[in-house]
Amino acid sequence: MNYPETLRYSKSHEWVKNEEGMVVIGLTDFAQSELGDLVFVNLPEVDDTVTAGEALGDVESVKAVSDIFSPVSGTVCEINEELLDHPELINEAPYDAWLIKVKDVTDEEELITAAEYETHCQSESNG
Amino acid sequence: MIQTLTTYESITTDPYQNLAVEEYLTFHTEPGECILYLWQNAHTVVIGRNQNCWKECRVSELEAEGGHLVRRLSGGGAVYHDLGNLNFTFCMRKEDADVDRQLQVIIEAVASFGLTAEKTGRNDVAINGQKFSGNAFFDSKGCYYHHGTLLLNVDTASMSRFLNPSKAKLQSKGVDSVRSRVVNLSSLCPEITVDTMKQAMFTAFSKVYGLPAVPLCAERLEQTAIQDGRERFSSERWKYGPKIPFTNRLEQRFSWGEVNLDLHVNEGMITEALLSSDSMEADWFSDIGTEFQGLPYRTDILCKALDHSLEQHLVPENIRADLCRMVQEQI
Repeated sequence: MNYPETLRYSKSHEWVKNEEGMVVIGLTDFAQSELGDLVFVNLPEVDDTVTAGEALGDVESVKAVSDIFSPVSGTVCEINEELLDHPELINEAPYDAWLIKVKDVTDEEELITAAEYETHCQSESNG
Repeated sequence: MIQTLTTYESITTDPYQNLAVEEYLTFHTEPGECILYLWQNAHTVVIGRNQNCWKECRVSELEAEGGHLVRRLSGGGAVYHDLGNLNFTFCMRKEDADVDRQLQVIIEAVASFGLTAEKTGRNDVAINGQKFSGNAFFDSKGCYYHHGTLLLNVDTASMSRFLNPSKAKLQSKGVDSVRSRVVNLSSLCPEITVDTMKQAMFTAFSKVYGLPAVPLCAERLEQTAIQDGRERFSSERWKYGPKIPFTNRLEQRFSWGEVNLDLHVNEGMITEALLSSDSMEADWFSDIGTEFQGLPYRTDILCKALDHSLEQHLVPENIRADLCRMVQEQI
């Protein structure tokens, strides 16, 4: 399992990266591995607002539909259109296959470091 | 760890109400509790969360016959429900979920009638390779459900009729259904009825978890929240309108010429429409296509708009009738 140190993480398994005044959000390696092969991704649209702790979209895998939670509040300024046709990119390279970019961020969930996130994942998979 | 078992039987066959109750129970299960909820829908096609309803179901025919189209929260393919089908939902916290244990309840329930079932494929339960139960899953914020169908005595003719639209030219994103060979349990064991199966499910539930099961106290169901859920599940926006863009090409040869109608649809609304024909008398065709833009992708609405538009363009009666029938039959 891969936990890049340059990223920050939410306990609901999203990764967060700051990039030129925007926040980039994706699903972690642990999340994609738990979800299984993805078959569909529902993303918000550009200019939609997202709220920290609330669903920003959902992913459907061969196992289940799972909501994706936004780690920040702000306005969506870009979505990764490629995922709409190729959800499997999240399984193949979860840290490249970003979901959305958010600007004008006003609030964020509690975010943790790679080491803390790794411990969190270990406790979940043992649970 | 599961420490409490709760059972609940729906008191209605209204699919929107049943899904609203299912959602409510899912988000209000106590830690350590597992709720087994049994319910039935009258004359309904239930599609997966991310499916195109027109690709999976003959929507207009179903609704014209008083049937219901429902989009569920979980993923997967389209299924047909009538009162020969019994649905179950296990609601619990995500950390307590164990698909094999939950499926064991189904396997034990049919075993009590002397039938040997096994898990097959992705999420099915079958007897001798014939599926009688399809299962799907949903989770959000640590809340989880596993639900599925039990085919007891479903009208399989209706099932094939509503789930097999001939949509060769419909190109859509979204999740496609997988066809399976199905079997009604009552055909394998005549003792199986809705009532005996409900009882068998509750007994198997207690047996598999090794705990007594107690009926849900009805006061736990908060009616205002459930009514809000019912409105959401029955809204056109939820049923027809998710962001699953698609195109459909209607084509037909008539005595007076060949016609194509290309439709681009998103969120249930027509974003672009192009009507074309090789007919000499059809210079008005392109105007009519544009009048479809912004309308909902619904047979009744499009037929009415088309007829009105053709009338205004003084199109001959026979051509009007042909085109309206094409839309009626092919959307």
